[in-house]
Amino acid sequence: MASKTAPIGRAGPNSRFAIFRCVAGYLLAAALPAALTGLFVSLVPEVAGGGVLRWSVDWVPSLGVRLSFLVDGLGLVFALLISGIGVVVFVYARAYLDGHPQLVRFFVVLTLFMLAMLGTVLADNLIALFVFWELTTLTSYLLIGFTHERADARAAALQALLVTGIGGLAMLAGFILLGAAAGTFELSQLRAGTVDVRADPRYLPLLGLILVGCFTKSAQFPFHFWLPNAMAAPTPVSAYLHSATMVKAGIYLMARLLPTLGGTEAWTVTLTAAGAVTAVLGSVWALGQSDLKQLLAYTTVMGLGTLTLLLGLGGTAGVVAAMVFLLVHCFYKAALFLVVGAIDHATHTRERDALSGLAAAMPVTFVTAALAALSMAGLPPLVGFIAKELIYVGAVEAPVVPAVVVGAALAANALTVTAAGLVALGPFLGVRRAWSQPPHDPPWTMWSGPLLLAALGVGAGLYPALIDQTLVAPAASAVLNTPVEVHLALWHGLGLPLALSGATLALGLAAWSARRPLDRALAAAAAGLPRSAEGVYDAALAGMKGLAAWQTAVLQHGRLRGYLATVFATMIALIGLAFLWGGLSPAVPLPLDVPLYAWGAAALILAGTAVTLKTTSRLTAICALGAVGIGVAILFVSHGAVDVALTQLLCDILFVILLAVALLKLPRFRELPHRGRAAMVATAGLAVAFGTLVSLILLEILATPLDLRLTEFFQSHSQPTAHGRNIVNVILVDFRAFDTLGEIAVVMLAGLAAVALIRVRASARRHQENNR
Amino acid sequence: MVELPAFLPALPELFLAVSTMALLMFGVFGSDGTARLVGQIAVVVLLCTGLLVIGHGTERAVTFNGMFVMDGFGAYMKVLVLIGSALSIILAQGYAEREHMNRFELPVLMLFATLGMLLMVSANDLISLYVGLETQSLALYVVAAFRRDHAKSSEAGLKYFVLGALSSGLLLYGASLIYGFGGTTQFDRIAGLIAASPTPPVGVVVGMVFAVAGLAFKISAVPFHMWTPDVYEGAPTPVTAFFAAAPKVAAVALILRLLDGPFGHMVEQWSQVIFALSLASMVLGSFAAIQQTNIKRLMAYSSIANMGFALLGLAAGTEQGTRGVVVYMTIYMVMTIGTFAVILCMKQHGRMVEDIRQLAGLSRSHPLMALGTAIFMFSLAGIPPLAGFFGKLYVFLAVIEAAAKHSELYILAVFGVLSSVVGAFYYLRVVKLIYFDDPIETFDRQSDDSIAAVLVGTGLFTMFFFAFPVPVLNGAAAAAAALFTG
Repeated sequence: MASKTAPIGRAGPNSRFAIFRCVAGYLLAAALPAALTGLFVSLVPEVAGGGVLRWSVDWVPSLGVRLSFLVDGLGLVFALLISGIGVVVFVYARAYLDGHPQLVRFFVVLTLFMLAMLGTVLADNLIALFVFWELTTLTSYLLIGFTHERADARAAALQALLVTGIGGLAMLAGFILLGAAAGTFELSQLRAGTVDVRADPRYLPLLGLILVGCFTKSAQFPFHFWLPNAMAAPTPVSAYLHSATMVKAGIYLMARLLPTLGGTEAWTVTLTAAGAVTAVLGSVWALGQSDLKQLLAYTTVMGLGTLTLLLGLGGTAGVVAAMVFLLVHCFYKAALFLVVGAIDHATHTRERDALSGLAAAMPVTFVTAALAALSMAGLPPLVGFIAKELIYVGAVEAPVVPAVVVGAALAANALTVTAAGLVALGPFLGVRRAWSQPPHDPPWTMWSGPLLLAALGVGAGLYPALIDQTLVAPAASAVLNTPVEVHLALWHGLGLPLALSGATLALGLAAWSARRPLDRALAAAAAGLPRSAEGVYDAALAGMKGLAAWQTAVLQHGRLRGYLATVFATMIALIGLAFLWGGLSPAVPLPLDVPLYAWGAAALILAGTAVTLKTTSRLTAICALGAVGIGVAILFVSHGAVDVALTQLLCDILFVILLAVALLKLPRFRELPHRGRAAMVATAGLAVAFGTLVSLILLEILATPLDLRLTEFFQSHSQPTAHGRNIVNVILVDFRAFDTLGEIAVVMLAGLAAVALIRVRASARRHQENNR
Repeated sequence: MVELPAFLPALPELFLAVSTMALLMFGVFGSDGTARLVGQIAVVVLLCTGLLVIGHGTERAVTFNGMFVMDGFGAYMKVLVLIGSALSIILAQGYAEREHMNRFELPVLMLFATLGMLLMVSANDLISLYVGLETQSLALYVVAAFRRDHAKSSEAGLKYFVLGALSSGLLLYGASLIYGFGGTTQFDRIAGLIAASPTPPVGVVVGMVFAVAGLAFKISAVPFHMWTPDVYEGAPTPVTAFFAAAPKVAAVALILRLLDGPFGHMVEQWSQVIFALSLASMVLGSFAAIQQTNIKRLMAYSSIANMGFALLGLAAGTEQGTRGVVVYMTIYMVMTIGTFAVILCMKQHGRMVEDIRQLAGLSRSHPLMALGTAIFMFSLAGIPPLAGFFGKLYVFLAVIEAAAKHSELYILAVFGVLSSVVGAFYYLRVVKLIYFDDPIETFDRQSDDSIAAVLVGTGLFTMFFFAFPVPVLNGAAAAAAALFTG
């Protein structure tokens, strides 16, 4: 359906028909997400009543793999966010990218992304979940690189893909281990808890691998660096993927697996530590950004860190806080991203220093930004306040070092207050600037969605019943695997959380008032902060290229001689290994009492070899090689194998003649570049080692008794069955008559090939004569 | 009177051999324009051979004094080989006509090579193994140097021949050692011999190592891979496509039959060798591909890495592992032929494009071809839900399952994952070039229906394998079961 909207943007705006088609375009663009939202809303009552919907179909019956989906409280919250914010973003993007030549492609990919994301949060099978998960990575790659004219967008797209792709593969390995440990890939069966995976020896590796997947996807320190870089994407994409949906996939998975894998020390410590560090560093880095979108990206990092932290705590308070904050964060962050997009659209800049005094020119945008930022700062009566209170409730109850957790939450929240001010107040208040084109509010299609999201923050704050029984309680129950009662209220009573909220606000405002010196201090401090894994990523890419170049130079040099050397070196290693396994008998008898002529033949062979190696004339080398052949033939004769010796001799003669013919075409040996001494020594070493191994094998063979069955068979059967006394003849024409037949067929085929060659020459000659 | 062996199990091979020889005579004595007709008949012959294979069914039958075996495994792999060969011949036809190398020898040689492959798949004796392998190899050497007026093609043929002859020598040496120590060349008897003795004689172990090394050449496993990039680059492109597809399948089938069959009881010994080959192939194949600018060399390294993955399943040493290998080879073959079909479509100013950088901006001028390339690259990178992912998945599943007993297999799995990541890097770089970079030059318009048909067919398979995986998975499971119970 998205594809149908595409050409409309290019239609003339003046024609009434075009206006009609334009409206139709909007309807079509948002139809699918809207329909899905409606579907999911209709499921809310049933799921809120504790129902779990399952749908499954056979995928690979022979292997017991099923494609199954599961709708419970957790999945439904995510599905609603994905489809609901999808409606807003689709409508917004339709206006934002109006007239873009590749609008079709954009909407196709965006729709695919939405479906993949829904698949991720609703899949019941781990393998299916992984498939959808990687599909979101893939589609996000295409969306980040959408403005591909810019080199940074291309690099950022590839970086995001590689970082989350690596994480995804680690996660797949973790899933396979998990499936092996639990005996099932179905999430619903995992949660039934028939097998306690936490007691399995593979628990730690599988937990680590799965968490790498979650952390890369949800931009946890030290893998967070791809997220700010991914801001090269068009703003609607950032709003949708990088704040509301895709980066939450890791959070979703951690929440989903909490009852299966959570509750251990490893889980709590890892998630709490990663979450706390990410939240604090994210909020600190946010303040140092001059680009509004980058600033929002870092506050998203902070939000994701907070969610991880809360899931790490694992208790009821933490999970409820996580679910509320998840909703709240989606509302305000998506709205703010879209607001920044509107500012960018109107003024063509996102630099904080270049923006001020826009409130009068863009009143609706200002109101939206203010409402969203109030929720972000956590001021009553917005829902952000409730979320912050709950975060503190959870932090105070932290099972590990509660003081540190509370401190981290306090620091992150306070700096978020400041960041909210920087986004919502900075561009709108202060001196009005002179713009070449006076900025104005965007069309209603671009402001209505963000305003709705911001208004949801107010509504849910004033009427918490809107979300607590319908969404939060079922989601928290699904995460904890036990029914949970949730009653949200603005007023939690006096206590530590309220005091902490007050402190947050005070600290945040203090930082806001001191923002100019703070900027400078942060810029100075930024150099000292850990730079995360981006350096490792860059170094790894450079290292990979270096390694590739090295192997081409060392192994893939194109010289046949070197290739042969590699092969022989490998064979030596492999045979050596085989000897080690096989257990070579160390004392192989070396029979030295051989007759004199054998010594002579051996001397001839050795001399021939030596001459072949030393000579600089090819002809001498070939003759010397012929001498080696004669030596071998003598040995055959001495053992009564005259026919074999004859064959050996004839072959050798043929070989020498053929080589001599080829020699005529070759450059003189002396004129070829001489090889270095080291290369010669290495080659000699290889030859000696290989020769030694082969000799050892031969000695080993001599040590085993000869199997005489065949010899006896031919001796006893030649005369009676085949009526011949020459055993060789009998073998050729009787026992192996079919072989001989085959050989004749081969000769005939060769003759045919020769005929083909002759005909080619003849026809070529004919052509020549005709041309003449 | 001499009792004649049962010919029925070998009917497909006999049919193919007789037809090919008839086709050869037809080509030799026909007029100058027969090349095209010979190519078309060759495809029909392969089709009929395939029908004969299917018609025989999957029942195990041994004939020719135990030299030749036909079973479920053979049936599946033969059909695969025949499909690969037929598609390659179709590709070669279109190419040959364009490039004026339209000679009837090309399809005939490819048919002879295919005959060799079928014999390899059905080999039940070291002798028939060698005969099949050489029938295939000798035809392939000639095909590699088919453009003997081109220096690169001649060099490719020569390198392939020298190294291939060396590998055949290694294999023969290994076979003679096995015979020398075991007293038999027949697979079933070797299996019985090894099963009977608690520690296999050292000569048999060494012979097995030689044989595996010789076969490793044919599937271009590291460190026997050096011929691959040079030959892939030098040989005419459809010939490269042929090399990358059917012979690899046949060689892998042969390795599976050899190691799971006669040497099934020596799994402890050979799994170490396969382990090393697999690890080296995956790592080197993935890393070395990064620097390549020639798309055919890139595919060469890709095939090396892919063979590493296939061996990964073999290293598991279980029936599941073998099933994974069979699935992997099926998907690999289709993807590879599809990719080469795309390469064959790319021409600028009447010349083949081989430099990857020249693909920049393909999506602007040829959106459908760009889509095809993207599908194959994403699939080769193992990104779900494309077929390539499932190939890797089934191998990984088998390895992890087997790793419960042999923990060193975890190392292999880890390196497998790592090299997939590196592999993804260079496959996706191609996608980036096609979709995001600005075009340098436009491509020639051309309409070659046969190549387009291959492209569409393989593309659809790669794209929608996830929806209909059952035929391939069931077939592979049956093939693996035949090998382990037969």
